[in-house]
Amino acid sequence: MASTSLLRIPCRHMSQMARQKRSRELVDKIIRVDHAGELGADRIYQGQLAVLGNTSVGPVIKEMWEDEKIHLETFNKLIVQHRARPTVLLPIWNVAGFALGAGSALLGKEGAMACTVAVEAVIGDHYNSQIRDLMEDDPEKHEELLKIIKKFRDDELHHHDTGLEHDAEKAPFYQALTQVIKIGCKGAIWISEKI
Amino acid sequence: MLINKDLRCSRLNGQNIRLTQIVSRNCSTSDKSTSETSTEETEYETKERILRASLPFVYQHGWTNKAITSGAEKEGLPGVAHGMFPRGGAELVFFFYRECNQQLVKQMKKQTENVEEKPKTGEFIKNSVESRLRMIIPYMEKWPQAMAIQTMPQNAIESWTNLGRLMDEIWFYAGDQSVDFNWYTKRASLAGVYKSTEIYMLQDRSENYENTWQFLDRRLKDLTTFGKVTRNVKQSGTVASEGLYGLGIMAKNMCRMNSR
Repeated sequence: MASTSLLRIPCRHMSQMARQKRSRELVDKIIRVDHAGELGADRIYQGQLAVLGNTSVGPVIKEMWEDEKIHLETFNKLIVQHRARPTVLLPIWNVAGFALGAGSALLGKEGAMACTVAVEAVIGDHYNSQIRDLMEDDPEKHEELLKIIKKFRDDELHHHDTGLEHDAEKAPFYQALTQVIKIGCKGAIWISEKI
Repeated sequence: MLINKDLRCSRLNGQNIRLTQIVSRNCSTSDKSTSETSTEETEYETKERILRASLPFVYQHGWTNKAITSGAEKEGLPGVAHGMFPRGGAELVFFFYRECNQQLVKQMKKQTENVEEKPKTGEFIKNSVESRLRMIIPYMEKWPQAMAIQTMPQNAIESWTNLGRLMDEIWFYAGDQSVDFNWYTKRASLAGVYKSTEIYMLQDRSENYENTWQFLDRRLKDLTTFGKVTRNVKQSGTVASEGLYGLGIMAKNMCRMNSR
């Protein structure tokens, strides 16, 4: 009897330490990938605006870009606050984001909107799954982070709807285009979580 | 006696659970009087206790199983307790490394918390690296062995993590706010300085390691000059790209492609 309780306690202690470690790793991973994502989004809108700045959709893109700038700013602060490690691939996302934005905008404003729809759909899903992970881990401890991510998810889904309103579906090869971008985004998310 | 111990050791080795059971039961009887929680000493804490007691034996036995055995015996635990440490001396080295890091963190916290004026970054980093390296001095004679243990392939990952964590702590308390690729360059370059100074220190015979601190000073100066040069290159890079952008606009105008 005594020996079993003695055995159980070390196990519980270890599992608590393991849980704390897991929780910290989860937050680290989430902040890293979201920071990378917001940087990418920021660069995408910048790229779109560089091409479409003087067209009718210019102000719409500008407005969405302003949102993304706030998001990026917030995650910049969160990285320092939580001492999370930024991803190694930042320079790549920096270039890739701009290229994606400018490239899609070169297909016309519908192309740019289709790109927005694809990216924001993936990001919205991704934020949702992060909210689930955090809720599962410890909703009270991550309250602040949850609030931020929920707010950002709503913003991103709003961008998604804005894209649809502005004729995203009339883009050339809409289905193929969005699928390719979605797969690219998912790959980027996967690898940014890791390194 | 020794043979007997070895026999017990080989019988118990690999049966860490049973050994923990013995050790923790041993602890629980010895600490019973203190309080309810301390009677239930955990495996983790027992390990820490043994390793802490083993450090004084490093002078004699080096970073080895032998030192751990002596430490365990000093703590009143069976000498076979070193079976709890499958990696032997390496665990002792890592324990020492972690302990020193924690000590440095405490020290840096004190320096940065509740002070009106933040210490200068360069000076703060130099002082932190120096005080961290000074923690090795008592073990200098056996430190080459520890460094060799750390470079062994099976230990390399943990050594790098430890070094990385140390650099992260120093930069964090120095007030680093970088969120871009600089995060990596800063930590990597400081790690280079730290490691090279550590190696320099091994052969330094000057009094109070004066030469080492001068060496450290020079390396850190190199780093700041390097930083300045890269910043200049970056600046001229942006100037060049703006120039190219201007050329692009001019070409567009010449081709009458300007929509404005």
